[in-house]
Amino acid sequence: MEASYDPEQNPPLHAPLLDRSSPRTGRFAAVFACLFSLISLLALIINQTQQPFEKVQPRGVAEGVSAKSNPSLLNQVPFNWTNAMFSWQRSAYHFQPQKNWMNDPNGPLYHKGWYHLFYQYNPYSAIWGNITWGHAVSRDLIHWLYLPLALVPDHWYDIKGVWTGSATILPDAQIIMLYTGETNESVQVQNLAYPANLSDPLLLHWLKYPGNPVMVPPPGIKPDDFRDPTTTWLGPEGTWRLTMGSKFNTTIGISLVYHTTNFRDYELLDGVLHAVPGTGMWECVDFYPVAINGSVALDTSSFGPGIKHVLKASLDNTKVDHYAIGTYAPKTDKWTPDNPEEDVGIGLKVDYGRYYASKTFFDQHKQRRVLWGWINETDTETADLKKGWASLQTIPRTVLYDNKTGTNLLQWPVEEVESLRLNSTMFKEVLVEPGSVVPLDIGTTTQLDILAEFEIEPLISSTTNEIGNCGDGAVDRSTYGPFGLLVIADASLSELTPIYFRPLNASGGTLKTYFCTDETRSSKASDVFKQVYGGKVPVLDDENYNMRVLVDHSIVESFAQGGRTVISSRIYPTEAIYGAARLFLFNNATGVNVRATLKIWELNSAFIRPFPFERDSV
Amino acid sequence: MTKIISLFILEAVFCFTFFTVSYSDINLIQTTCKKTPFYDLCVLTLKSDPRSSTADVSGLARIVADSVKAKAIATLNQISALLNSVKDPTLEKALEGCIVSYNTIIQADIPVAIDAIEKNNPKFAVQSATDAGNEAQACENSFAEKPSNSPIFSGNKAVHDLSVVLQSIASLLL
Repeated sequence: MEASYDPEQNPPLHAPLLDRSSPRTGRFAAVFACLFSLISLLALIINQTQQPFEKVQPRGVAEGVSAKSNPSLLNQVPFNWTNAMFSWQRSAYHFQPQKNWMNDPNGPLYHKGWYHLFYQYNPYSAIWGNITWGHAVSRDLIHWLYLPLALVPDHWYDIKGVWTGSATILPDAQIIMLYTGETNESVQVQNLAYPANLSDPLLLHWLKYPGNPVMVPPPGIKPDDFRDPTTTWLGPEGTWRLTMGSKFNTTIGISLVYHTTNFRDYELLDGVLHAVPGTGMWECVDFYPVAINGSVALDTSSFGPGIKHVLKASLDNTKVDHYAIGTYAPKTDKWTPDNPEEDVGIGLKVDYGRYYASKTFFDQHKQRRVLWGWINETDTETADLKKGWASLQTIPRTVLYDNKTGTNLLQWPVEEVESLRLNSTMFKEVLVEPGSVVPLDIGTTTQLDILAEFEIEPLISSTTNEIGNCGDGAVDRSTYGPFGLLVIADASLSELTPIYFRPLNASGGTLKTYFCTDETRSSKASDVFKQVYGGKVPVLDDENYNMRVLVDHSIVESFAQGGRTVISSRIYPTEAIYGAARLFLFNNATGVNVRATLKIWELNSAFIRPFPFERDSV
Repeated sequence: MTKIISLFILEAVFCFTFFTVSYSDINLIQTTCKKTPFYDLCVLTLKSDPRSSTADVSGLARIVADSVKAKAIATLNQISALLNSVKDPTLEKALEGCIVSYNTIIQADIPVAIDAIEKNNPKFAVQSATDAGNEAQACENSFAEKPSNSPIFSGNKAVHDLSVVLQSIASLLL
């Protein structure tokens, strides 16, 4: 009787035992034997292996590790943080859980009178891990109430992580939630979940489709490059589509397209919605239409003349959110950018500060597109563990196409944030001369909504080309800037955070303007990340320089020119806190006077707290 | 004759695959370590762990993470021993601060890094590795005697440099 041949037990002769536990001496003996009998093959073998004994000098800076994406602190000493300093850092009106770690916003939606926010959450610690979907609701996108966890890792297809996903509200009001699960074998798959009870306005309980997963990594896509499905949209012939970021050949960022008719069965399209070489893995892809006249927001399925589409990706390699505006062809499911030089990942950023994993949803209640974004900490994990929490979400922003420039989106805090306004103070045409600082007397300055408009009056004539962008921060002087505000500053200016415009002479007598936030002196502590953030902002001929700034303790959101360029910033002052924090105007330009007109409101707390289940009504 | 030729070919294929297979693991260590700023440290750390011969890049990252943790525990023990006999209050303060930093590395940074690598979400491993390096650097900088090194300089340097290696390797997994 022939012994059965089991390749596992008896590997054929030509495939050697991959048994690495054989002793070194035995291996060398076998190698010498081979060499001795096969001298003629030696040259071929050496040619085929790539110089295994050549020692190469290590690179100076590791590839793929960008200082911008992964804060690396030099010359730092741990600061003696007090509980008072940590307590002050907590926001008053930005969404954050009572404690522990949060990251990406998930599945935002509006249902039966409530706005819902889900979010990546660690129920056990202030560092990433044990990821579940946290859940909160609000009537107005500002006053949030915490609810129990919505999704936890409890099936093989999400046991290692219930990761990011998006909601689709169908025409019959059904809610479809698609999310990425990490399986027990560390494969990224997409799963379907839906409310257990659609008539529950709070959507407390969720069911997972028994046939999960509904999408698994297709051939050619690695099991860890397949995540973050978007909201689905309806195509012209009645099928639904979604798109999902991935990468190809290590460096090409791509977005896959799937079709479905029933949300259980999905068909992968040949080809991709779009690809951009050199951008790496695309996470948290978002894809939505905008009206070119810029006056209204559009449902995700909208299509037709007068509509462009925005494609957005979070770049895994640099931890930056980028977007581009372009044209979508539904018949071929292809999108092309208006300007290929500012394609996804190489052009405009959604936010030029500490910001990632953003996601929009169409708010059918108020007919607007609303944008969420995750703001991570920029202090040490030791501090996060001590204070017991990490991360915030931005104030939700409306998104519209800027039809004045045709190149940018406009982001603006939702109008409901104005319900937090208490008193207001106005300043008219305050003169700020070159190299000067002007205090603004307005009481406490840690919770503010500031609208500021600046006019510049040239004192010298200069047309020499000026290069640079935000420079080395507010101390870096040029002819027309920097000028702007100093927020969370103490009276002696030992700690300050400048938010400023820096117009620079460009060729042809025009000005090219940068909008910036300078954290380098935001805190005396050296164990926090302090960077200069910013980007260019189009300023049209008939416009003054205007900015809106939301100050909320350790987070500052700054909007230039109606939201063409936005910067989110985290600051951890040690002295400019509580009653010691002040607000100033400054002008560090060399050749212009600045006149500033401001309206400043103190903002109330949003009193974010657990949902009061004991009472019948809220 | 044909038998001898086929035997020759069989043996040639055997040796060829044996050669390339036994060198491919060394190649992976070298190509991976070339992408870190501390090539020698990286190669030494990986080669001294038997798991490295069958590991992919993810496995190599795991080995480095374990090494950071081992070095951090050793350094923490050194700090505790010094605290037992310290007299100088400035030195005592610095050592106590270092205890906190090293507890973060051992109880937070490394477990998160290992978890993130295992769950194929490497960006959190990069973040944690960066933090571990920062914590070690912060500890070293908190000692008053400059420009000379602290009493735990070699431990701090080992943990810092290995954390940077871990950060670099985890970045390859992005």
